[in-house]
Amino acid sequence: MGGVTGNREQYTSLCRMCDNRCGINVYVENGTIVEITGLKEHKWNHGRLCVKGRLAVDMVNAPDRILKPLKRVDNKWQEINLIQAYDEIAEKIKKIQSAWGDRAMSVWKGEALGFLTQENLYRRFIHALGSPNYFSNDSQCYVGRWLGYALVTGDWATQDFIRSKCAVIWASNPPYSQPNLTQSILNGREKGGKLIVIDVRLSAIARQADEFVQILPGTDGALAHGIARQLIEDDNISHSFIKEYTVGFEAYAQYVMDFTPKRVEKETGVPAETVVHIAREIGSRRPKVAFYAGNGLEHHENGINNVRAIACLDGLLGNLDHEGGNFTAEKPALKDLTLYKEKPLRHLGPIGADKYPVLYDFRKECHTISAMDTILSEKPYPLKGIILTGANPVLTNPNSQKVIKALKSLELFVVRDLFLTETAELADYVLPAATFLEDSELHCHPIHQIISLSTEIVTFPECDSEYIFLKKLAARLGIGNYFPWKDKEELNRWLLQDTDITLETLRAHPEGYKFKPKRYLKYQKEGLPTPSGKFEFVSKYLKGHGYSELPEYVSPAYKSSPNPEYPYVMVTGARKVCYTHGRNRNFQRCRSAIPNPDIEIHPIDAEILGVKTGDIVTVTSTVGSVDIPVKVVHKSNILPGVTQVTHGWQESNINLVTHDDRNDPIDGFPLLKSVEINITPKQNRNNKD
Amino acid sequence: MDVTKCVVCRNCEYACAFQQTGDFKREDSNIRVEYHNDVKICLPQTCMHCEDAWCLEICPAAAVVRNEATGAIEIDSDRCAGCKMCILACPFGNIHFDKINMVSRKCNLCNGEPNCVSFCISGALQYTAAQNSCQNNREIFQRFIETISASNN
Repeated sequence: MGGVTGNREQYTSLCRMCDNRCGINVYVENGTIVEITGLKEHKWNHGRLCVKGRLAVDMVNAPDRILKPLKRVDNKWQEINLIQAYDEIAEKIKKIQSAWGDRAMSVWKGEALGFLTQENLYRRFIHALGSPNYFSNDSQCYVGRWLGYALVTGDWATQDFIRSKCAVIWASNPPYSQPNLTQSILNGREKGGKLIVIDVRLSAIARQADEFVQILPGTDGALAHGIARQLIEDDNISHSFIKEYTVGFEAYAQYVMDFTPKRVEKETGVPAETVVHIAREIGSRRPKVAFYAGNGLEHHENGINNVRAIACLDGLLGNLDHEGGNFTAEKPALKDLTLYKEKPLRHLGPIGADKYPVLYDFRKECHTISAMDTILSEKPYPLKGIILTGANPVLTNPNSQKVIKALKSLELFVVRDLFLTETAELADYVLPAATFLEDSELHCHPIHQIISLSTEIVTFPECDSEYIFLKKLAARLGIGNYFPWKDKEELNRWLLQDTDITLETLRAHPEGYKFKPKRYLKYQKEGLPTPSGKFEFVSKYLKGHGYSELPEYVSPAYKSSPNPEYPYVMVTGARKVCYTHGRNRNFQRCRSAIPNPDIEIHPIDAEILGVKTGDIVTVTSTVGSVDIPVKVVHKSNILPGVTQVTHGWQESNINLVTHDDRNDPIDGFPLLKSVEINITPKQNRNNKD
Repeated sequence: MDVTKCVVCRNCEYACAFQQTGDFKREDSNIRVEYHNDVKICLPQTCMHCEDAWCLEICPAAAVVRNEATGAIEIDSDRCAGCKMCILACPFGNIHFDKINMVSRKCNLCNGEPNCVSFCISGALQYTAAQNSCQNNREIFQRFIETISASNN
């Protein structure tokens, strides 16, 4: 677990600077974390780490870190004592409960602090309190893809890249977003696998692609259907899988027949011959084909069905749960912290569940975008309090102006974070939070079916970990019985109670403990966790909710009804190597590497607009406008007319121009990646001065 | 160094720069990576620690020395006079000038545990013994040539 050399102690843990959870060594001198390196033995990252991992040293010791509770008094921050802060917050929660009802309170979990245990603790807390309103970043990231696959296969499989003969990276850039996934993709390729990258931009991973397919934003479903049509026409499909384990093939096959290579070319911008070619490249390597569906797919008005369209390819290829394909990992039998069985609270109208029942049915996620409208309109009922942890929706939710207005109008807004973020600035109370290096949680890496324990390495006096914070608050609210475990150690032991795994075993296996050997093709005996028990090319469940049962492709609005006032289409949210969403902008080092936001545009558009790299332009949509410097990229990086802006920059917050009222009808995900915009150069202000 | 795995993510550059100066300024890095859009090649470049190192031979101050333990060609910045002869001599352009301290800078293999390798998330950079790497490099280079010819077709 640890060791001491001189006055230097060594610990092992897992990194949480993004979701990749790489194994790390953490070095401590005189109680201070001084160094972090990659853990060689860990099965996920094999000792390799990205620069974000090392940045955790800066994060934990940051001079601007919040170490004392802050209370807003006369619109100024006043440092108060932690007990007073918890007491006052508890009193205000009780007041809201008695004045407006339990459901007027809510929690909102972000990504900056913890993992799955944290998520389930917040779900437990809010249900114990009597409110169904659990919000998180997941209702606009990750869940769209999870749902798209789950509606077809019952789960979202992980990718067995290392054994695959063909890796398809669709709308994702792992070197920046999931750094150490890159190793397994490229190792698979080294063994003779093909790498196909489908993306709007020539991303980092696309640089090594055998086939880079550049596509127009939001048209991915049409390409998937085109590939499907070609596979069927070439009879390059797994008849046995289709016959034994699927439903709806006939209807699906008939539907995709309209997606001829020519039509796909017109819709997606991908040349007809490329559609045929990649379908053959993929089909000839079945069933050892692994698809990774990225975040680029889910921020559209037609996102879910585009993901479903890609998921349906698994049904044709027979790669589901196959070695080298999309592997359905098994999970360890951890105890469930949530209270959905004991205290479902569905009858209390979780916010968004009426409009997006699929999102709630499958994930028990309330809808953060609807929450803003609820706060402002008090419809369908008043929402008066939020306890938000490690999230920064001012930068990451669409329509920032509305987000700011809504959060400001809350009766009680409590933010737990490490730094005074743009969102924390709006709070009534800001509570110091603990970093992942001050907490201990259980973690799984599905592809290896391993479980690891992260380590509490240091502590700061007033920075409670998530569990301790909720336990202390719960005790003040009369729901302390839901948090009986003395500390995290006891909680973790309870979580493992029904398994044969102990904390001691996990501590003896910092490289990750294999909780179960991998088994392939489990569906053959056990069926799939879908309503029919089979692979669903068509979904009766969706039909029951009034949606199309087929993964129908709908052309994005910028194509089907272009608005001449907003002639460019903007993708937001491409990742940068040293940033994660809205985080790390306060580290000077990162600013040296990537100093400012920019809008990536094609050289042809730069010429039309008469701008060069560094010039400031105004980006306008029907929602709002923002000024941002231009970056003219190489002509192969992006298609003419298409632009990209990374989110998370306070100085050019791109969500000031994104829509919160144009959501995918199935999961309610916002339109963030095919936004119609206009670009106008700022008149050379400097020259006038 | 496997050019078929490098994705020019720049983790190596930032990790090296950090090792040198504590900052993430690319210009401080002793390894540089570049993506050549027109030929679609990712190219990492750093010191080869040549058997017959021209930088070492030409240095008038005898500041360029070989570290016997690691085999690395290193610059002793206390001895370096800042004449830039080594920069001119290096056929690969792998030495750069530190304008603040007025000395030449290059890779020293981080005393046998190169940071660029630890922070290479794609697996393009490996740190292995020379005898193991020769055959490996040959294979990699063959693949590299195939890549170039494929991209020119």
